[in-house]
Amino acid sequence: MININKIIKEMDLEGDPSNHRVVVAMSGGVDSSVTAALLVEAGYDVVGLTMQLYNYGKALQKKGACCAGSDINDARVVSSKLSIPHYVLNYESIFQDQVINDFADSYLRGETPIPCVKCNQTVKFTDMLDRAKNLGASVMATGHYIRRKKKLGSPSLHTGIDSSKDQSYFLFATTKNQLEFVRFPLGSLTKDETRSVAKRYGLSVANKPDSQDICFVPEGKYTEVVRKLRPGSIEVGNIIDVNGNVLGKHNGIIDFTIGQRKGIGVGGRKGVDDKNSILYVISLDTEQNNVIVGPREFLSCNKIKISNCNWLIDIVNQTKFRVLVKLRNSSKPVVGTIKVDFDNNLAYLKFDKPQFGVSIGQAAVFYNIEESSHILGGGWITEAPNKSADIKFYNA
Amino acid sequence: MKKQIYLDYNATVPLLKEVKKSLIDCMDVGPLNASSIHYYGRKGKDIIDIARTNISELINTNKNNIIFTSSATEAINLLFSNFDTIVVSSVEHFAVLSSSKSDHIIPVNQHGVVDLNFLETYLKKLVKKNKKILVSVMWVNNETGIIQPIEDVVEIAKKLGCLVHCDAAQALGKIKINLEEIELDFLTLSGHKIGAPTGIGALIYNDKIDLMPQILGGGQEKGMRAGTENILGIRGFGEAAKFFVNATENNCSKVKSLRDYFQEKVKTLSPKTIFFGEKGNRVANTTLMALPEIPGDLALMKLDLESFSVSSGSACSSGKVSKSHVVSAMGYDNLASNSVRFSFPPNDSILKLENLITRKELDRLAQCWSNL
Repeated sequence: MININKIIKEMDLEGDPSNHRVVVAMSGGVDSSVTAALLVEAGYDVVGLTMQLYNYGKALQKKGACCAGSDINDARVVSSKLSIPHYVLNYESIFQDQVINDFADSYLRGETPIPCVKCNQTVKFTDMLDRAKNLGASVMATGHYIRRKKKLGSPSLHTGIDSSKDQSYFLFATTKNQLEFVRFPLGSLTKDETRSVAKRYGLSVANKPDSQDICFVPEGKYTEVVRKLRPGSIEVGNIIDVNGNVLGKHNGIIDFTIGQRKGIGVGGRKGVDDKNSILYVISLDTEQNNVIVGPREFLSCNKIKISNCNWLIDIVNQTKFRVLVKLRNSSKPVVGTIKVDFDNNLAYLKFDKPQFGVSIGQAAVFYNIEESSHILGGGWITEAPNKSADIKFYNA
Repeated sequence: MKKQIYLDYNATVPLLKEVKKSLIDCMDVGPLNASSIHYYGRKGKDIIDIARTNISELINTNKNNIIFTSSATEAINLLFSNFDTIVVSSVEHFAVLSSSKSDHIIPVNQHGVVDLNFLETYLKKLVKKNKKILVSVMWVNNETGIIQPIEDVVEIAKKLGCLVHCDAAQALGKIKINLEEIELDFLTLSGHKIGAPTGIGALIYNDKIDLMPQILGGGQEKGMRAGTENILGIRGFGEAAKFFVNATENNCSKVKSLRDYFQEKVKTLSPKTIFFGEKGNRVANTTLMALPEIPGDLALMKLDLESFSVSSGSACSSGKVSKSHVVSAMGYDNLASNSVRFSFPPNDSILKLENLITRKELDRLAQCWSNL
């Protein structure tokens, strides 16, 4: 059973809940719907906001389809059930500028972007947050599985109780200022608990499956989206091995990501010992438009450079320390030593053990080595040299 | 729950009591398919005939020239499907702009009034290349309330041998429409803008011009709009028309004084407010305004949370608010995302049915506006 008083306590708002307007960012999914439901039960003056981020009809290539996806309607139905006001924010052009275009350009640079972080960083926690403030809200709540705790008067960010659903990797860019204003009531719940709350309230989205893909990419086919957005800038090129031999052709480097093993399109290699017969994408050469493949050992990466760092802790006195770092949402944190350059928002990280398949464009998120749930901050991986950097291609 | 103050009458007028009663009576008559040849079929035909008569009286036209459709939008689509060359004004409703697929756009001046000189020059060129031209200009603009010089539009178009359609969805009930006095070929109407239920509209047509239907089937509405007649909608439309025909207070002086009172309050409390079309010939119930720093959707949300129902720009069915093409067309592109429309009851008779729109509430509304 969910303890409403605990949720009220974690909301960290003084006085009676009814004196506080809380804007809930409602996506139409079960998580944000339950967030709204719990806050209504707790007695807050809840207002639901849903972002319209792109023209669904256009994205899905359906002629005459309405601009609204069914998610917006789900959010509306839930709001109606909860008897709260609900509004739709038209962020199509901002989302196009700040998220979709960046996503396409990033792929063209041979990187692997995370548009969800950009969206949280820009549209959700900038524009929507401003709107929540303008509507007189005390705070804005979202349905993320992450916890906000008060430590020595200032808020800190911690992983969600449900480690399988933890969303800290996507929220590292939340600034200290933003953290003063946002709340995550589901951080202390498991997904199962969320679903059971949804059932208890009779919410229509109780059994709605979790979203898996990037919202504006139909069926996960991100390369098709990039091809539509940037026609003409994607060219056929060569797939070469570490010795510079051409193994085959590719239809554009956007189809590849560092560390990729499946679907490269070049067959197995006869006469090569087992250990080295499997080929991985080890480098994307955007200048020559080459995809470079090689055995796993070439992916080995010892250090990375991280740019545009966001810090959620005060570390002015300390510029070199040990951290846990997550390089992908799905991977476990690894140990390393970080050196911080505050003036330039940069950080350099040396891994204790080499890492394989680190991609530029992904995030590096840092956790406290003594308290692994505590998020220290993070940034964008802008350099991740692996052994392929040592290769010289004279004939390429 | 706080009382909701409704100031969005241009979006829809609440169902009139008389209309509601007529609908219930109609439901009690029995199974009504007006195409049936038996007793109940005849009953159904009678109901439709009475509605036609009532509507024809309201706009002074021949009752046989009315085709009932599901909406003004459908009526416009039906008409436009018969024309390849359609000339429209830049401030038309999307029902006209989208369905006409027209590149022939006549601009408006800063007050939102269609540029008649431009229209004449444009048509003179166009008639040299095209034989059958339809000119479509709305009578009253839904956002600004501006009354277009429709008589002049008709005169220019007729002089050059063009046909004329007028979207009168917003004019009906607000100003006198007398089709005997104006040489329009086509007029389209919407029932719910005068207190009928939604889902009923009409095309008034010149029977000397052959039109082809869009919806084919059982040949209802003289073959112009197939599908079993929407008896309840038609009955409701007819009753609403009757209400307006019989209304003793068909003028709008009380509505106008409330609207003007509100405008003056706003001017006093927030002098930065910009009014659109205020200097033009406007209907009495509408005012469109903007604050330079405040997005229209924010204004709408904040006013809604203060229990005022108003409208902003043009909302898609998703609820997202887009820029106002009307405000842009008037030369205020920088304010096109900021405009908010307040529309009062269409005339004094409808206002009389309403007891929440008081000067006290308008003071509160103007105060909320200044606090945005």
